[in-house]
Amino acid sequence: MENLPFYQSHGSEIELFERAWRNNLPLLIKGPTGCGKTRFVAHMAAQLNLPLYTVACHDDLTAADLVGRHLIVDGQTVWSDGPLTRAVREGGICYLDEVVEARKDTTVVLHPLADDRRILPIDRTGEILAAPPSFMLVVSYNPGYQNFLKGMKPSTRQRFISLAFDFPSAAQEEAILIGETGIDEMLAKRLVSIANAFRALRDHDLEEVASTRLLVYAAILIKDGCEPTLACRAAFVETLTDDPETAVALREVIDATFGL
Amino acid sequence: MEEYVGELWHKLVTRVADKQHAEAAVNLDEISKTAAIFFRALGGDAGLNLSAAASTRHGARRGWRDRLASSGERIELSWRDGETLRLPEKIDLFSERSLNRDMYLWLTALSAADVDDNLPWIVRNQTATLATLTRFPGLVSRYYRLVGALLLLRTLPSKLPIEEAAQESAIRQALQQPGSIYDLPTAKKPFQPVLLWTHPSPPVNASNKVSSSDGAPEREQSDDKNVAKSRRKHAAERTDMPDGKDGFLMMFRAESLFSWTEYINVNRPQDEEDDIERAALAAEDMDTMTVARDGETSVAKLRFDLDLPSAGEDDTPLGEGIPLPEWDYKKQVMQPDYCRLQEYVSPQAQPCELPTQLRRTARRLRSQFQALVPTRTWLKGQQDGDEIDLDAWVRQEADLLSGTHADGRGMYRAQVNQQRDLACLLLADLSLSTDAYASDHARVIDVIRDSLFLFSEALSATGDRFAMYGFSSLKRGNVRFNRLKSFDDRYDGLARGRIQAIKPGYYTRMGSAIRQASALLAAQPQRQRLLLLLTDGKPNDLDRYEGRYGIEDTRMALHEARQQGLRPFCVTIDNEANEYLPHLFGVGGFAVIRKPEDLPKELPLLYAQMTR
Repeated sequence: MENLPFYQSHGSEIELFERAWRNNLPLLIKGPTGCGKTRFVAHMAAQLNLPLYTVACHDDLTAADLVGRHLIVDGQTVWSDGPLTRAVREGGICYLDEVVEARKDTTVVLHPLADDRRILPIDRTGEILAAPPSFMLVVSYNPGYQNFLKGMKPSTRQRFISLAFDFPSAAQEEAILIGETGIDEMLAKRLVSIANAFRALRDHDLEEVASTRLLVYAAILIKDGCEPTLACRAAFVETLTDDPETAVALREVIDATFGL
Repeated sequence: MEEYVGELWHKLVTRVADKQHAEAAVNLDEISKTAAIFFRALGGDAGLNLSAAASTRHGARRGWRDRLASSGERIELSWRDGETLRLPEKIDLFSERSLNRDMYLWLTALSAADVDDNLPWIVRNQTATLATLTRFPGLVSRYYRLVGALLLLRTLPSKLPIEEAAQESAIRQALQQPGSIYDLPTAKKPFQPVLLWTHPSPPVNASNKVSSSDGAPEREQSDDKNVAKSRRKHAAERTDMPDGKDGFLMMFRAESLFSWTEYINVNRPQDEEDDIERAALAAEDMDTMTVARDGETSVAKLRFDLDLPSAGEDDTPLGEGIPLPEWDYKKQVMQPDYCRLQEYVSPQAQPCELPTQLRRTARRLRSQFQALVPTRTWLKGQQDGDEIDLDAWVRQEADLLSGTHADGRGMYRAQVNQQRDLACLLLADLSLSTDAYASDHARVIDVIRDSLFLFSEALSATGDRFAMYGFSSLKRGNVRFNRLKSFDDRYDGLARGRIQAIKPGYYTRMGSAIRQASALLAAQPQRQRLLLLLTDGKPNDLDRYEGRYGIEDTRMALHEARQQGLRPFCVTIDNEANEYLPHLFGVGGFAVIRKPEDLPKELPLLYAQMTR
């Protein structure tokens, strides 16, 4: 248990995850980028002592990438399991990150696994795998507006129970920064205050807002001896915007917090 | 000679009196974008505009030099109301440019602080100062630098009469130790303005004076033409409109400025007011513009001409009209069935061919867009893929057996899948403003017409489902929605005929049109649904659908569209669009075409980029 990834709970999500797992229910996690979805799943996998298979979905991801395919080895064809099949065989957690990025015909292979049948038919080998009780399917996506052209099929979506994540409250986010990087409380407060100022700009001036992950990056730089305003510029300003005038305004917010 | 000497004297005394530092001046234009984002980041209301403040007479003591040159009696204060954050047009108080710039940022930060507006002015500013300094400790050093520099510019208490000295000392203490003064001593003369603080909406209190006789929507400010140029707002004061029975007519006009500024309670309809230029000049010199709410401002007069055509001349209405809601941002409520939208189709439209001057471009676009047609093919000989490429494998085995060197080609087959599962609705603004000339030989409406033609040509080449509508409005009861091509219509001669027949008219009630377009688009089964809005300006209509009300309703309509899984995108030729479109469409949600005549060519290309 000493390798348990750090995770700061902000509600009943740990309890809900455990209940879902005990009762063989698949889980959907939604929330903005960098708010701790992936970390949460890693934490839970470690806590439940299950192997974790993570797949980052993209629009070229095919069903074969998940299930597996034949490979040619020394003149023979050899079946090679995909991450989903491996997770089913071993009774682990299969985590599909950013599942809306995958095409609809790909996500359909999840259907028989995500309802009470809990089976994975493999067309190419004719095998039908039944998932052991410890297997769990977890998917996540970011409902930001850049995904409006995508979105999930309702028939896929309704097979999951859903957990909504958002950026943690200021106090929790400070605790995360301190827990993750060991910076002092004053610094954590200031960083979180900057992040919340930037979050007020969501949709109007910035497409994406400062995530907890970026806050951690900034804290790591400062912990390493980097001058705070410099670290914040590198972690926030240049990451969040390409527009020079917006960048000037963001720098002003940082200067207003740390002083000159 | 007399004139010459007078001019010299004027130059001399104004130079002596001018304590401003022109070389270190910071203009609002330079800093407005930064300040606006800074304001929002610090928690300010994202819907507010930023604009230059009007100068007001402060009435406080001036130095002898100022009195000699009769300068320095006006000052630009900063303040904030429901629609706008106002900052001075230029700050040149200090000799250091960085201090002037800091002053802007400080005023912005102070305006963003959330304090109770009902507190007395001096307490409110101290509370706001404290709140800002606590939240942003980095501003502390800047604040005290500013205070230090500002105190040097203020008259010392020791040089003032007793009452004013007490007042001045209180202000000085409040600046240096915010939170320590609860009461401002009174004095006969007004105190010198405190430029580091925000002021209440200068001296007029608008809320008491608003009176609207019939509760009907009125026009709020009619000075947009003049103000657009100078970005300067006049403090507007509202007064009851007299009923006109007891009036004597004031026969003299701008001879004396006093007759302009002092509002005399007579009915003075502006029938004869055609000398707009002179009126604008006179208005520049006024402190307070008094606008009575009878809706008879000259702009309203102009709009009066836009009556609906007679039933015989008008397009054919289709159906009863669709009731649509509208968002009232002030009350934060959706008003159900507030507007009525009527779908029209032009009866005169005759089937026609594509205009000859567009044919060459259309041909080129068609061939470009055919490349976007979906293909679903298997690629052979890939290093990685779903299936084994048996041909490649057999060949390689044969090569190995015959002793030839195998070329290491891939032995898998992969599928490239370019599904285009897409529906697009194009909504074009056909309001009267499109009657303006966009270039030397084309009106905006002509540019829009050509764009619609080329857009249809391009889209019919891709096979994407698309529909086209035009919209305009005349108050809330009459939102006009012109069907050019519905999703089910074919793109044929008749559709072209309807495009050919579009004509400008009326106003721009964008929210209702967007709601109806969203409803049509949301009924489409495609996975990607694009709502493309083609416009030339802000939402506006004859009634209160203007300014922030119109913007907020449009924003709400767009928000609803996004919730339905549609993707709105705006293409505009309005050069000032950057001021309001980010608020409506978000960054990356709109494109501004600088040269309107490029629109017909740009629009299909934009579409191709968006949907690739």
